[in-house]
Amino acid sequence: MENSIIKIQGLKKVYNPDTIPVFALNGINLEIEEGEFIAIVGPSGSGKSTLLNMIGGLDSPSEGSVEIGGIKIDELDSKKLIDFRLKNIGFVFQDYSLLPVLTAKENVAFVMQLQGQADQKCNKRAEELLTAVGLQERMNNRPAKLSGGQQQRVAVARALASKPKFILADEPTANLDSKSTSDLLDIMLQLNKEEKITFIFSTHDQRVIDKARRVVWVVDGKIDKDERK
Amino acid sequence: MLLKLAWKNLWRNKVRSRTIILSIILGLTGGIFSVALFNGLTEQKLSNAIETQTAHIQIHKKKFLDDYDIRKSIHNHNLVSKTIKENPLVKGYVTRVVTTGMMTSASGGSGVQAFGVDPKEEKKVSKIYDRIIDGKYFEGIKKNPIVIGEKLAEKLDAKVRSKIVLNTQDKEGNIVGSAFRVVGIFKTNSSNFDEANVFVKKKDLWKLLKANGSIHEIAVVVEDEDLSDKVKEGFVSKLDSKLEIETWKEIQPELAVMSDFSERVYLFFIAIILIALGFGILNTMLMAIFERTKEIGVLMAVGMSKSKVFGMIILESTFLALIGATLGMILSITLISWTGSSGINLSAFQQGFESFGVGTIIYPQLSIGFYFQLMLMVILSAILFSIYPAFKALKLNPVEAIRSK
Ligand SMILES: Nc1ncnc2c1ncn2[C@@H]1O[C@H](COP(=O)(O)OP(=O)(O)OP(=O)(O)O)[C@@H](O)[C@H]1O
Ligand SMILES: [Mg+2]
Repeated sequence: MENSIIKIQGLKKVYNPDTIPVFALNGINLEIEEGEFIAIVGPSGSGKSTLLNMIGGLDSPSEGSVEIGGIKIDELDSKKLIDFRLKNIGFVFQDYSLLPVLTAKENVAFVMQLQGQADQKCNKRAEELLTAVGLQERMNNRPAKLSGGQQQRVAVARALASKPKFILADEPTANLDSKSTSDLLDIMLQLNKEEKITFIFSTHDQRVIDKARRVVWVVDGKIDKDERK
Repeated sequence: MLLKLAWKNLWRNKVRSRTIILSIILGLTGGIFSVALFNGLTEQKLSNAIETQTAHIQIHKKKFLDDYDIRKSIHNHNLVSKTIKENPLVKGYVTRVVTTGMMTSASGGSGVQAFGVDPKEEKKVSKIYDRIIDGKYFEGIKKNPIVIGEKLAEKLDAKVRSKIVLNTQDKEGNIVGSAFRVVGIFKTNSSNFDEANVFVKKKDLWKLLKANGSIHEIAVVVEDEDLSDKVKEGFVSKLDSKLEIETWKEIQPELAVMSDFSERVYLFFIAIILIALGFGILNTMLMAIFERTKEIGVLMAVGMSKSKVFGMIILESTFLALIGATLGMILSITLISWTGSSGINLSAFQQGFESFGVGTIIYPQLSIGFYFQLMLMVILSAILFSIYPAFKALKLNPVEAIRSK
């Protein structure tokens, strides 16, 4: 397990420990290597989102640790954590979450600008990324003018913009129809194959599960099955 | 990039942004215009007093003003005049003979201060000639002409060409009197002044007082009111220490107080308006953040630092304030320059204004400096009042924010 980029050990999360405790995660151990294409699967309320949030450093564990590229992110302070997220993790959300006032291209460039890169460079890379997700024609449209599938592809391009170590996606296809779902998946798979981008996503969708190369089943906050294809 | 994002965010809720901008425009215009109106009023009172009563600087022999004893004259007034003339900041000056006395006619009497002037010279310093409402300024009557105020004319029941008598003391202390004929009647903005001051020719007064060549008062007008203090300092250092040299602020301290005080009142008044507008901005920004909870959560998740989120919100409210303030100022300036040149006629309230020492037409006016100060205050209050909403945004927990719908 030399090339693990993510190492999760004894991860537990309890919400509202003082009132009505909710045990969302009950001891997760998981290692993820560079270049994987992993689906996190499980019934509603099983803890998939909680797990992804922990990996993404959006929420802090009650017990256990999350190590990314040798850094224990639960030990970073909030300022360093934001910076860490910016440099290492790409996020894709279920409802796309693009900035409505910016065009597709601006949305993608924005993350790079946050990193302090020159405008010209940001624009160029934004164009390349949008071309890679098949949106070369729609770069100057605002999100409201794009379909859900197109918006989610912009979101993937945005997640890739900062050259992260991996991309976290919580139910990226839940709001998409089947055609858009398979288009998005093809793009993700292609990026995974050609650019060696690591994808970690949760899903309920059998067609998505079928395409994953590793499926981690979570039940009641524990890993039930870890299946490689 | 932050600028651009903040600017675009502003126009997401157009109705709300326009509403707050409009209220800033109206609030500021109302405030600025009221201040300009009040300022016009004070300035007018000041310039009236300076033009017709005090000039900028007056020179007397020390203690003369205590008892108006005509023996306390300015000794070497030719030398003094020379020093005054040499100062390049001086626009004009006059020398006067001054006494106090009793003005009487068949219908009554009234205590007055009589000034012996050289009519031609006097025009350089005093605008009394410009305030003549009946008769002429020392024209048309050769022997012992006198110019009196409207109020005194009423009291003495005197008209142009009426004969009235001035009783006073001569240099030796004898009671003396002489008849004068009214040549002109003036009316300034101060009825008190009009009642108590009369003007005669210098040589006529000299003859009456048996004080040929005596000068009791030198009145100086400088190029700009603001230079009064500086010019006074120059005189003090060069002239005889037995002379009392005073600026208009010292002659009429209540005017000086009014002019200083009013500036503070303006700022205070504007500050209150800005606080009211500030709460409007606060409310607008809180609503904007509430609506965008999820989006701000996403921004923080993808790596927008807290300082940038903070900056974005401060910028948004600064933009709102800047737009409102700029438009408000343009509107105010237009309004002020429009009413400032033609004036606002308030003759309906004539009585009250006259005793306040101003005319019935008010010319609103404001200095450029005031606008700059105001702009600064507006920006500051926009920043101040968006700090709380901005902190509120920082406190958002990204996970919760993203979960919220
Ligand atoms: N902020 C929170 N406070 C309290 N309980 C929470 C919170 N977030 C999640 N939970 C609870 O933790 C458990 C796991 O939630 P989680 O969202 O991770 O499930 P999930 O597998 O993503 O479900 P779904 O498939 O519906 O998205 C659930 O019982 C949920 O109610
Ligand atoms: Mg979930």
